[in-house]
Amino acid sequence: MPQDVEVAESEVGGLRLLELVRGFTKVVIIDALRSGGAPGEIKRLDADEFRGGHRYGSAHSIHLGTVLELGRELGLPMPAEVVVYTVEALDVETFGEQLSEPVAAAAGRLVDLIGDELATGVCPASLAAAS
Amino acid sequence: MAPTGRMLRELLYNAFYVTDHTTHFYILAGPDFIMGPESDPAKRNILGVINKVGLEIGGAVIKLRADAAELISMIGGKQIHPVMGLPGGVSQAITAEQRDRMVQITAEQVEFAKFTMGLFNDVVLGNNDYVDLIKSDAFTHETYYMGLVDENNKVNFYDGKVRVVGPDGAELEKFEGKDYLAHLAEHVEPYSYLVYPYLKSVGWKGFVDGKDSGVYRASPLSRLNASDGMATPLAQAEYERFYETLGGKPVHATLATHWARLVELLYAAERAHELATDPDIINPDVRNIPTGIVGEGVGVVEAPRGTLYHHYKTDEKGMVTAVNLIVGTTNNNAAISMSLKKAAEGLLTGGKEIKEGTLNMIEMAFRAYDPCFGCATHTLPGEMPLQITVRNETTHDVVATAQRNM
Repeated sequence: MPQDVEVAESEVGGLRLLELVRGFTKVVIIDALRSGGAPGEIKRLDADEFRGGHRYGSAHSIHLGTVLELGRELGLPMPAEVVVYTVEALDVETFGEQLSEPVAAAAGRLVDLIGDELATGVCPASLAAAS
Repeated sequence: MAPTGRMLRELLYNAFYVTDHTTHFYILAGPDFIMGPESDPAKRNILGVINKVGLEIGGAVIKLRADAAELISMIGGKQIHPVMGLPGGVSQAITAEQRDRMVQITAEQVEFAKFTMGLFNDVVLGNNDYVDLIKSDAFTHETYYMGLVDENNKVNFYDGKVRVVGPDGAELEKFEGKDYLAHLAEHVEPYSYLVYPYLKSVGWKGFVDGKDSGVYRASPLSRLNASDGMATPLAQAEYERFYETLGGKPVHATLATHWARLVELLYAAERAHELATDPDIINPDVRNIPTGIVGEGVGVVEAPRGTLYHHYKTDEKGMVTAVNLIVGTTNNNAAISMSLKKAAEGLLTGGKEIKEGTLNMIEMAFRAYDPCFGCATHTLPGEMPLQITVRNETTHDVVATAQRNM
C-alpha cells in the first residue's frame, strides 16, 4: 500500500460523504451492490456514472453524483477522481458478522485490484478489459 | 441514569437537531422560498440558494454539518448509529479538551441559527406574497397537536411528558411515554402498510380535521403549539414573535412549520451550548450499571419530524422479544395526506393550465412535514413491494400497470 493512502471504514451516505472525501486527490469507494449479478462479482464504476440531481424529496435522496457536484460548485477541494468498486452481495437482509462465502472469496482479489490501481494510478487491466 | 450520562445524551441529541433542521431549511425546503415556489426547477435547489445568498453560505452549511458530526462522534463514537447509549448512561466520559471543542462548536451553532433566522425574516417574512401563502386556507388544517414538554410545559426534545392540545389550543391530555397505548391507536387502510395513528379519546373519523377528529400532528409546529414556550432565551423571544405575527395560538398554517423549525434550531443550539458549558459535563461518572433485567420499556423523544415512540419487551436474558415503534413521520401520515389533498384542491382549479410551479406548491404542503417515509415504512425482511396503476383521465380505464416485489 502506498504511504500516502488513507483507509477509512464508514457507514455514511449522502451529504456526509462530502465531508469524508474532501481534501483527497483520489478516492476509491468499496461497497456492496445488488444488481442481479453473480454473488462475489467485482465491478469498477466511475463516480460520473452515478448521476444525481438537485431537487431533493428527502436527505436520503442526495446521491454520490450530487454530492460530488455540490462540492465542486461550492469550491471545496474535491478529488479529481472517484471510483467505486462494488462486490455483488448474496444477502443483505440477514444480520451477521461474517461475509457470505462468495463475497469472502472475492475479498482477496478486490484487495489486489485496488492495490494495483493505487500503485499504477490507472484502472487494472483485467477490469478495463471487462468494461 | 447517571446525571452526566443523561446530559451527554441530550447534548448529542441537540447537536444532531441543529444539523438535521439546518439541512432541511437550506437544502430541502429553503429553495422553495429563497428561489421562489414557481421559479425554474433547475435553479430551485441548494446551488440556486448559494448563487443567490452567497457562496459562503454553502460552505457554512457544510462546515456546520462537519462540526456537528465531530461533536456527535466525540460523544457517540461515530456519527451514524452512535454506540454510546447504554442502560444507565453512556459508555464513556469526555475530556476537558473535548469539552472545550464542544463549547466552541455549539457557540458557532448558536450564531449560525441566529443568522438563519435573520435570513428567514428577510426572505420569507419580508415578502407579503409568502406570508399570504403561509396563511392561506389551502395550507391550513385545524387539528390536534402533540409534543414533549418539560415540567414547565416548555418544549423538550429529549425527555418529559407527551402533551396534546386541541384545535382551540386547550390541553386535551398529558401522559408519560409508557402509557402511549392508552392514548393512541392506529387506523389502517388497505392500500398501505403505513398506519394512521390517531387519538383514542377522540376517535378515528376519517381524513378530516376539527375537534371531533382524532387526527393529530407531531411536528415542529405541533411542538410549539403543544407547549407554553421554549426553555432558552433567544428561542423564547422567537416563539413569542412567531405567535404575535401569526395571530396567536395555536397556529394551524402548515407552512408555518418552516418558521417553527427555525425556532427549534435556535433552541437546539442554545441548549447544546448550555450543556457543553455546564461544569458537570466532564464528570467521569457517566453510567449507573443496571442490576437487573426490567423486561419491558417505552422510550419517547421528539425526533425532528415528530414524536418517536420505542416500545420493547425482552426475555429474562434481556433479548428482545417484541418491538413496536411509532416514528415521527408516521404520526403525521393522515395529516400529510389531508394537506396534499387540500393544497391540490385549492391550487388546481378547473380550466387553468397546470404549471410545474403549481405542482411544486402542492409538494410544499408535503415538504413542510420534512417526512421520512423510509423510516416510516421499513419492513422486515427489507422488501418493498410496489404496484402502480395508470388510468385514462376521462374513462378511468387501466392504461398500464407495473409491479415489483423487492
